[in-house]
Amino acid sequence: MGRFVARRLLQAIPVLIGATFLIFCLVFALPGDPIQALAGDKRADPNIAAMLREQYHLNKPLYMQYLHYMGGIFTGDLGETYTGRQVSEIVSERFPVTLQLALTAFGIEAVIGVLAGAMAALRKGKFLDNVVLISTLVLVSLPVFVLGSVLQLQLGVEWKLTPVAGVQDGWPTSYILPGIVLASTSMAYIARLMRTSLMEAVRADYVRTAVAKGLPQSRVIGFHAMRNSLIPVVTFLGMDLGALMGGAIITERVFNLPGIGQQLAQSVYLREQPVVVGLVTLLVLIYLVANLVVDVLYAVLDPRIRYA
Amino acid sequence: MRGARSAKWVAGAVVVALSATACGGGGSSNDGKNDGIVSMEIGEPQHGLIPSNTYETEGGEVIAALFTGLTQLNANNEVENDLAASIESPDAKVWTIKLKDGYTFHNGEKVTAQSFIDAWNYGANQDNAQETNPLFSHIAGYADLNPGPEKKVATKEMSGLKAVDDLTLEVTLDAPFSAFPTQLSFAGFAPLPKVFFDDPKAFEEAPIGNGPFKMDGKFEHNDHISVVKYDKHPNAKSIEVKGVNFKIYSNADTSYKDLVAGNLDIQDTIPTSGLATAKTDLSDRYIEESDSGVGYIGFPLAYNKSFQDVKLRKAISMAIDRKAISEKIFLNARMPADDFISPIIPGYREGVCGDACTLNPTEAKKLYKESAGLPNDTLELSYNADGDHKAWIEAVANQVQQNLGIKVTVKPYEQFQGILNDLGDKKLQAGFRMGWNMDYPHMENYLAPIFTKKAIENGSNYAGYVNEDFEKLVKKADEEPDAAKAQKLYQQADDILLQELPYIPVYFYKLNAGYSDKIKSLKIAGGEVLWDTVKLS
Repeated sequence: MGRFVARRLLQAIPVLIGATFLIFCLVFALPGDPIQALAGDKRADPNIAAMLREQYHLNKPLYMQYLHYMGGIFTGDLGETYTGRQVSEIVSERFPVTLQLALTAFGIEAVIGVLAGAMAALRKGKFLDNVVLISTLVLVSLPVFVLGSVLQLQLGVEWKLTPVAGVQDGWPTSYILPGIVLASTSMAYIARLMRTSLMEAVRADYVRTAVAKGLPQSRVIGFHAMRNSLIPVVTFLGMDLGALMGGAIITERVFNLPGIGQQLAQSVYLREQPVVVGLVTLLVLIYLVANLVVDVLYAVLDPRIRYA
Repeated sequence: MRGARSAKWVAGAVVVALSATACGGGGSSNDGKNDGIVSMEIGEPQHGLIPSNTYETEGGEVIAALFTGLTQLNANNEVENDLAASIESPDAKVWTIKLKDGYTFHNGEKVTAQSFIDAWNYGANQDNAQETNPLFSHIAGYADLNPGPEKKVATKEMSGLKAVDDLTLEVTLDAPFSAFPTQLSFAGFAPLPKVFFDDPKAFEEAPIGNGPFKMDGKFEHNDHISVVKYDKHPNAKSIEVKGVNFKIYSNADTSYKDLVAGNLDIQDTIPTSGLATAKTDLSDRYIEESDSGVGYIGFPLAYNKSFQDVKLRKAISMAIDRKAISEKIFLNARMPADDFISPIIPGYREGVCGDACTLNPTEAKKLYKESAGLPNDTLELSYNADGDHKAWIEAVANQVQQNLGIKVTVKPYEQFQGILNDLGDKKLQAGFRMGWNMDYPHMENYLAPIFTKKAIENGSNYAGYVNEDFEKLVKKADEEPDAAKAQKLYQQADDILLQELPYIPVYFYKLNAGYSDKIKSLKIAGGEVLWDTVKLS
């Protein structure tokens, strides 16, 4: 197991370098001039613009800019925005918000998704099963911003149950509604995945054996069937954690949560290369770690899977 | 039982992570109706909070609360002295400014003539790359601080600034400029305390101003900026509000919902999505009045021959149904433009554009026939898709197509700078949308930065429009020390534009604002809330 983890960590290095370079090229290739973008509809003062270009090496070729950037990274400097703020500062400001949101959503989708899926599977064809099937269908087909805006209007503005926007009330109050919205689609997938996979497991030989041995049903389902059928769900959850961190752009915007997603969208718009590259690198890292955790969890859930 | 233990560990980690990050949240919420603290919506300011580095309205709102300048706008958008006791000049070139006594910075330092000189020298120095740098260009010695890219700045002071004594400031301009006192109302001309120059980086996160409000804590990026009343400010008594919490939103739709839900007290720009219902949502707490912005359609006059014909431009102008655009597209959040000057500016003349800005398809068609016309009878209009411009440009295109009987297409650019780049490369052969928002409420600000020769290089004369008579009139008006006479001259310059239509004015922006029931009344001028007019209920 130790060697496996070490190898996976080493593999992460080329992935990181490749990803940052790719992102760097993509952001650089976007049309538009970041310095003019700062000035909006007015023309940037040519004098000041030249100063800023010099200061941020924008007048150098792409590879030089990249080397400059990477040089900074290795000395622990993530660079600064064209308005003079440290990227590391932005990350440390915004990351906690996104982390809280993503983990809230993660918890909601894991608990509700797994429970709903399991209950549907155990009551196949009954009323509860149909409720889960229909509600998941609705959740999957509703765009996030529609669901978000409707819930915000109904629960926040009309009934005043939840805050409408912002993070002033802290965790959990400010994060529950956005968390539910962010979790909605994945929750539906997990419920369906869990349902199918548990239904299969229940029919499997080893479950029949367990029943024949006279084990109580709670033990059969809870320990034997559930543990096996969780494997695809855990895979999905692991991948989803990365997606939740990076994919919260719309949710963060609807609920005005100052997180990574919002910053990323804004920085792409303003052509803030250092911020975009910095944030994306962070997201790549999260994906890599999440993947690693998933692989390790396989072994925990199913002892038959071995890693050399 | 390896599985169970791991599960517990994972759950534990999640809880620790959540509670660790939760510390960042919290803070003040809106409990207690009459604590005198109001909340106001802004967007994230572009830069830190330095007056000379704030050229946009979001940070401008905060700067206006934290700093008191020499002059200010009153509720009628007229300029009046604020920190200045008097501003006088015999020739519009050498200005003597006497300061009122008794103003201090929030750290107790006295506001003196030197506080202004230091701040302006900092703002005008190209090494400091301040956003409002060009605003200082009228002051003598500005050129020394701006020798150009890659050149060294030799001095740190503008020769035109002199402190006669603690409370007397003498400003010499490069050339006479009668609009100077009005220009001083712009926040970029605010004074700075000595502590600023020690560490501007630290200052911009927790500025020390001389205004009626002082910072309460630091600039919490993307979250909020809180200010509380500074009791030693001479005008503190006239302000009922005890503090302001500027809440930062990234999305005006969201903040509007917060306003309706009662979680937000002031929003000075209601989003288009809220306009249809704002009157019922807010009833008498909804404000709708004229604002400073103008929306135009411009043409690449400098290099595209077909647009150089005045008759053609007039024909296009007369083919536009401005009323329909204001009412149908903007739901009355804009009004038809009838001058190059905004209605809130002293010197604006209602309806002065006359026939040229009035829909008249017959006359328009006739004019088009008389002109040389467009190649293939095809007109293209470009716009930037990142703003709210698609709908109205398409409407204009349809109207012109119908009323002139020519083919009109639209071309979206991702950002306005795309249009600017293509204009710079002489690639853009189409008309383009353009908008202008004032820096200071003066006719000059609607003429010189957009239509003078100087503004081709250093301003916003994107059309490359040149007219010598116009140049002369603006110059003469700049040099006229008598404000009333100067206004007449600016109006004559405006008349030339109305004859020539280098741009076609289409609409004036309107101010659509709203407030919660915590507030009884308030006034907004020059895009900023006048805090002494805010009355709590």
